[in-house]
Amino acid sequence: MVEKINTTTDVVCPFCGTLCDDLEVDVDIKNNIVVEVRNGCQIGSKKYFASNPSDHRYEKPLIKDNGSFKEVSWEEALNKAADILVGAKRPLLYGFSSTECEAQGKGVELAEVLGAVLDNTASVCHGPSLLAIQDVGAPTSTLGEYKNRADLVVFWGCNPVHAHPRHLGRYSEFVRGYFRKDGRNDRYIIVVDPRNTHTAQIADLFVQVNPSEDYELLNAIRAILRGTELDEKEVSGVQTEKIIELVNKLKSCNFGVIFFGMGLTQTLAHHRNVDAAICLVRELNDYTKFLLTPMRGHYNVAGANQVFTWQTGYSYSIDFSKGYPRYNPGEFSSVDVLMRNEIDASLIVASDPASNFPAAAVKNMFKHPLISIEPHHTPTSVNADVILPPAIAGIECEGTAYRMDSVPIRLRKVKDAPGECLTDKEILERLVEIVKKKKGE
Amino acid sequence: MTEIKLKLKKEHEFPLEADHISPDQFAGKTLAEIKKLPVYHGNEEKTIGDFFDVSGKSGEITDLKIILEGNISNVKRIGEKMSAGEIIVNDDVGMHVGNLMTGGKITVNGNADDWAGAMLNGGELEITGDAGHYVGAAYRGFWKGMQNGVIKVHGKVGNEALTWVTGSKPGNRFPTLICGSAGSFLGIHGHGGTIIVNGDCDRCAGADQIRGTIVVKGKVSRILPSYKKIGEVKEIELMNGEKITGKFTEYSGDHSVEKNHSKIDKKTGEVSNSSNGRLFVAA
Repeated sequence: MVEKINTTTDVVCPFCGTLCDDLEVDVDIKNNIVVEVRNGCQIGSKKYFASNPSDHRYEKPLIKDNGSFKEVSWEEALNKAADILVGAKRPLLYGFSSTECEAQGKGVELAEVLGAVLDNTASVCHGPSLLAIQDVGAPTSTLGEYKNRADLVVFWGCNPVHAHPRHLGRYSEFVRGYFRKDGRNDRYIIVVDPRNTHTAQIADLFVQVNPSEDYELLNAIRAILRGTELDEKEVSGVQTEKIIELVNKLKSCNFGVIFFGMGLTQTLAHHRNVDAAICLVRELNDYTKFLLTPMRGHYNVAGANQVFTWQTGYSYSIDFSKGYPRYNPGEFSSVDVLMRNEIDASLIVASDPASNFPAAAVKNMFKHPLISIEPHHTPTSVNADVILPPAIAGIECEGTAYRMDSVPIRLRKVKDAPGECLTDKEILERLVEIVKKKKGE
Repeated sequence: MTEIKLKLKKEHEFPLEADHISPDQFAGKTLAEIKKLPVYHGNEEKTIGDFFDVSGKSGEITDLKIILEGNISNVKRIGEKMSAGEIIVNDDVGMHVGNLMTGGKITVNGNADDWAGAMLNGGELEITGDAGHYVGAAYRGFWKGMQNGVIKVHGKVGNEALTWVTGSKPGNRFPTLICGSAGSFLGIHGHGGTIIVNGDCDRCAGADQIRGTIVVKGKVSRILPSYKKIGEVKEIELMNGEKITGKFTEYSGDHSVEKNHSKIDKKTGEVSNSSNGRLFVAA
């Protein structure tokens, strides 16, 4: 029997920061399951199939009772969650990067009402980029500009072949642009990485830098660009002659761009690497047009930064304990507060810190009540005290997301959420209401 | 001299934010009034009296000495924005001790956590133990860090001490850090600071330094490629006119920063020493 299939076109993929907007998704209407995803990459398509009902998907709110979960009504679950949050003196609200902007806005409201610590996943990802941008600014542009104009592309400490599979085909490497009619042949690709990655293997020039010594290499490039003769023959495992060749390449292009990833932001020098990269780009603009863009991971982590910034003034690591927002990564960032065991309850939204944070931090998080708004079984959610199952944004509900270059794109809905799932926004909205009532506001 | 003694009377679960513990707040107040000053514990507003036993007598700000005792390793912002008087801490101290202070003296008889003396603008901060990261540093996004005053750390300082330090010879402002040893990125983005390290120093000392003097009496794990070796010297003149004698190798930099400060003559290739940042490492 032929099932009735509903096809949605121009679907925006809610997986990585590339936010490809040309997917086609077939949904079996009767059973409400995704049967086919076209145009998407491997990792993006998988997210659609993972939204289908399965043993790994929560469909009803759960509360932990004597070590095992029992199904409860939304009212009971939300009440329990609100009790935990209102009773806490220093709650942590973390996550937000894999949900839509409207829900993030509600998260900020909840944090303000509670006097909580509010953080998003940029804290363990591109947070250092934001610190560097606050220190020295950032010359950047939208991805369309790179597609149409860039003739020199540098991938520094990132591996888009695996992490952002369609980035190369849509914006940066193989794609034909208005002024780059011949696609890949019109571009010179440079990869700087300690490993010979698959991205490095399709580059024109691969610079293999010693692990965690990117700062010295950037410093040497900048010094050579300023006409300084280096005293050393080799910097960070790269011959000085090769650096000079690299500098000449950077200077002689028409329009260059640096895409950078965790290789810069999460190695030893963290934000200082990005700081140096931004200064390099700024100085290269004395010779030619040069820009840079961070390769954001979660599809809406850029949106989390945007929403937090326009609502509180700061993009992550925000403390509301005094009633007004204060900002200090290192003091209020989630990993640091957990490492120092300063938290007495946490609400995790659309994120899985238990798989990503240091073990000591996770241990401290599990010591205290934990609420998880999460559609799937994850190491975080199975250890939670209250699980609130949401509809997956971008698949089962609409919303806004920001691409890695901070372009807002409207997400589409392709199917209904299974069971009793509510949207993230609705859950947080109801939670804010109950919390306000309990606090007597 | 009048003294006020604060002794922590109970353990606290969350960090205490005690930016009201400073001579500026205590001066001219009775003990009862001091006990009513706010501290923040988690998201609750409490009072100094809830956590501390307060004894002694208050007086004029310049004549006031505050002595802190008990386990205050998690009490933050002691001496924030203080302008005169003295604070003595007889234990390890929490974050932001003496941040934004403009005068007076703080002595910590123990270790200090991160951001000790951040954006100091005068006065003296002495730490007999080790200090955390960001000693005397600029807060996130600020382009001017420590602008005046002295920080002395007997032990080691963490990473990124004295970022964006800004001194001025005509303005008679000589921000100075004297420490036992230092972590990485010492004095990054410096604009005229004086840093004396009595021991060793980790990588990237003086990165992006436009002006300023860094003296390392021990070893530097790695000197940045953008620093140019100038030669050996026997005497160093610091920005404030003081002199240090000893055998040092002199480097000039950071030459990766433009500005008219990093002067290399294009024709002769000679490095101008007068206006550049300088790094001296014991020979």
